Amino acid sequence: MTAASTNATAKRGMRLDSDKVLAAACVAIPLIGLTLFFLYPMATVFLRSITTADGSYGFANYTEVLASKGFWRATQNSMAMGVATTIVSVFLGFIIAHGLHRCAFRGKWMIRGVIVLPLLAPSLVQALGLIFLLGRNGLVSRAIGTEVDIYGFWGLLIANTLYALPQAVMIIGASLVLLDARTYEAAEVMGAKPSRQFRDLTLPAIFFALLNSAFVVFIITITDFGNAAVIGGDYSVLATEIYTQVIGLRNFNMGAVVGIMLLLPTVISYVIERQSMKRQQGRHATNVQRFVPSFYAKRDIPMAAACFAVVAMILAVIGVVIYASFVKLWPYNQSLTFKHFDITLAGGYDSLWITIAISLGAAAGGTFLIFLMALGLRRLSGGISQMVQVLAAMPAAVPGIVLGLAYILTFNSTSTPLYLLYGTAALIGIINFYHYHTQAFLTVMTGFRQFPMALEEAATTLGAGLGRTAVNVIAPFVAPMLVAVFFFLFMRSMVTLSAVVFLTTAKLDVAAVTIMRLDDAGLTSQAAAFSTCVMAVVCLALGGMKLAIILMTWAPQTSKEG
Amino acid sequence: MNNNIFKLTASAIAICAAAPVFADALTVYTSLEEEEIAIYLDAAKAAMPDLEIDLLRQSTGKLGARLLAEAGNPQADVIWGWAVTAMMDPQVLELLAPVEIAGTEALGPKFRDPDGRWFAQIGYMGAFCVNTARLADKGLPMPTSWADLAAPEFKDEILMPDPNESGTGYLHVNAVLQALGLEEGWKLLESVDPNMAQYTSSGSKPCKSARTGEYTVGISLAFTAMQSIEEGYPLAMVFPSEGVGYELEASGIMASSDQKDDAKRFLEWTMSDEAIALFREHKALVTVAGGELSETAANAGLPADISTVLAPVDFIESAGRQNEIKAEWREKLGR
Repeated sequence: MTAASTNATAKRGMRLDSDKVLAAACVAIPLIGLTLFFLYPMATVFLRSITTADGSYGFANYTEVLASKGFWRATQNSMAMGVATTIVSVFLGFIIAHGLHRCAFRGKWMIRGVIVLPLLAPSLVQALGLIFLLGRNGLVSRAIGTEVDIYGFWGLLIANTLYALPQAVMIIGASLVLLDARTYEAAEVMGAKPSRQFRDLTLPAIFFALLNSAFVVFIITITDFGNAAVIGGDYSVLATEIYTQVIGLRNFNMGAVVGIMLLLPTVISYVIERQSMKRQQGRHATNVQRFVPSFYAKRDIPMAAACFAVVAMILAVIGVVIYASFVKLWPYNQSLTFKHFDITLAGGYDSLWITIAISLGAAAGGTFLIFLMALGLRRLSGGISQMVQVLAAMPAAVPGIVLGLAYILTFNSTSTPLYLLYGTAALIGIINFYHYHTQAFLTVMTGFRQFPMALEEAATTLGAGLGRTAVNVIAPFVAPMLVAVFFFLFMRSMVTLSAVVFLTTAKLDVAAVTIMRLDDAGLTSQAAAFSTCVMAVVCLALGGMKLAIILMTWAPQTSKEG
Repeated sequence: MNNNIFKLTASAIAICAAAPVFADALTVYTSLEEEEIAIYLDAAKAAMPDLEIDLLRQSTGKLGARLLAEAGNPQADVIWGWAVTAMMDPQVLELLAPVEIAGTEALGPKFRDPDGRWFAQIGYMGAFCVNTARLADKGLPMPTSWADLAAPEFKDEILMPDPNESGTGYLHVNAVLQALGLEEGWKLLESVDPNMAQYTSSGSKPCKSARTGEYTVGISLAFTAMQSIEEGYPLAMVFPSEGVGYELEASGIMASSDQKDDAKRFLEWTMSDEAIALFREHKALVTVAGGELSETAANAGLPADISTVLAPVDFIESAGRQNEIKAEWREKLGR
């Protein structure tokens, strides 16, 4: 008896040790990736930012940037735009996520489908769509007879919100989907009205997600270049400032300075977020029952109306571009034609297929790495875990153009064997993943936060090691988030442009670059047609993957419920 | 020991991986327009069937950023048709090899580097894109000069690329300044500034916005204007009477290239009679003496003798002082 129990204790001791090793490996592998493919290139950029014109090191570039009027105006504009977009996107994102997960009405599949459209549409689509609709010669202006002027703050706010909204919905949704139904049943029994339930149960539980989504929206807004260039008019922001320095003036070092400065607000807002999160620890149910909302007219009708209004707006913006891709000469000759789909220039449709392969790779590899990292972080002590988390949340603060150039500077140097990656499809997959690392990481972390520690402890007590716990207990629990992250990475990799534009080569082109080339060549309608094809392909791919998931999970789920 | 094994493996992998990269294909970077590239490349392939060409096409600004970022380990063999003001940036010049290309001796001294690092037999021009439908709607007079654009009724109807972000923007600013002299030139630019709705980051964007009727006048490129007119947009191409800016498209061979013979062969082909004839058909500007204007160009309103509309641009000067001018523009007109 005694012998047996000591034996068991010894066994558990070993198990704990091997768990520690496994946990360390879980963090280490993604961390090596982050170091090689994010920290290292950014260090190269930092080195450029402190390289002065005569080749020596110093902070002269920084003092020059800080002294310029343009920089401060751009900073002010960026901050104002960041705050405004954050407020609007988190508010709307919350309404939509809440509508999807906590309200009962029909047609949710449509909301789910449409809300991600801005993510899978190439950036050109959103820009063209807004101009075709709201431009000075757009449909709305012509319909009401006076010219709306969207170029500037308001246009940029709309464009940024459309782009940020799906990401806000994804993160907030990740927390709402895991709220326990029984808590609400208990509240119901005790006579708490829905408004009270919302205030005292829902809001505190999703506080973390709201903060995270605010953080992501703010950061992606201040680093966005595409929207600012197309619809921002003369409303200059920090990202356009970088473009001017690097592309216009061929002055890398100054561009690098602005790029490095953009990291500051990220770190600051992340620290603020962490501080306010500290009060929020550890109040989670041990197991979770999915909440199935029942119809409540006073809540659900306005919520449904709000959701569908947003959806209609997104559909209009994207739909008008798809329509325009069939129009002979927008807006002057509205007869329909297929001729824009006959694309022979800029490499034609060739790039589409390789882009799908790259995107699948980035999504699969990325989701796996993020899962490992989130898993390992649960077992790591405070200090290290904090640092890893700040690092993992940083990539969004780097504008794509800065990241792309950093990759050239880093991986086109023969001083390390990493040089072998230069010019390969793999490197494009890698940059796509690290460019969108933050959103993916925060979504999974939001899901993990709600994973009850007790459940994990129970699994450990029952003798499951970290490996088994991860596969059999945690993975099924956070599966919805992993799927969301996979799709997110896939969609972004299909269409993202700013980072990869510097990594494609004479032999290797991706779809987003083909679209840019067509648009550069003045063939806007063909660019729209190509974008339509990309969207169709991505939708088909997503549909296929969804179907595969349903087929794969169908059997075990029915048996569980039965 | 371990280290040696690592190095050995690394270099073995490097050789395997690098082998296909350094195969026969010639890597060419260009900023020429897609449509012309397709035509010229077809002809080049017919003339030199054994020469394999891998081509990367990017806008002038992006290609510049890329060339400089790759400077530590350049990937291109040839730069073909890239804005000469960009090419003359000292950071770029030092990447180029001095090579004698047969045929370039026929070019005037303004159109080639005395050290043989670049030459330019072709070029492109700026132009105003005027939307005739919107012009009629608003009851505006057809502008024929920069001075016309200063009239108050053009308020918020004009777009122009920002010279700090776009080569086309600099092309226009530089042309005005060289044609009228610095003092008069700046005065004129400042008088048009209040009417500018936006300064854009892309050179073709003003024309594209004008052709869809978002704005009336887009200060942009002749190429985009001609193409838009051919597609059927209600657009007129106008060359300002002060003189229109133009830019040479220069070519050169990278000093790092290990295929200089093929590179030279390709560039010599671009100076052949066959290539020049093709250029005359498709380019607004060919610096080789003689020849006639193409039909498309004539239909769009390009004058038979282009030199009558061109501003007197000195490229050495315009490249040399561009940082000053851009900074001054930012100071005076930057938004």
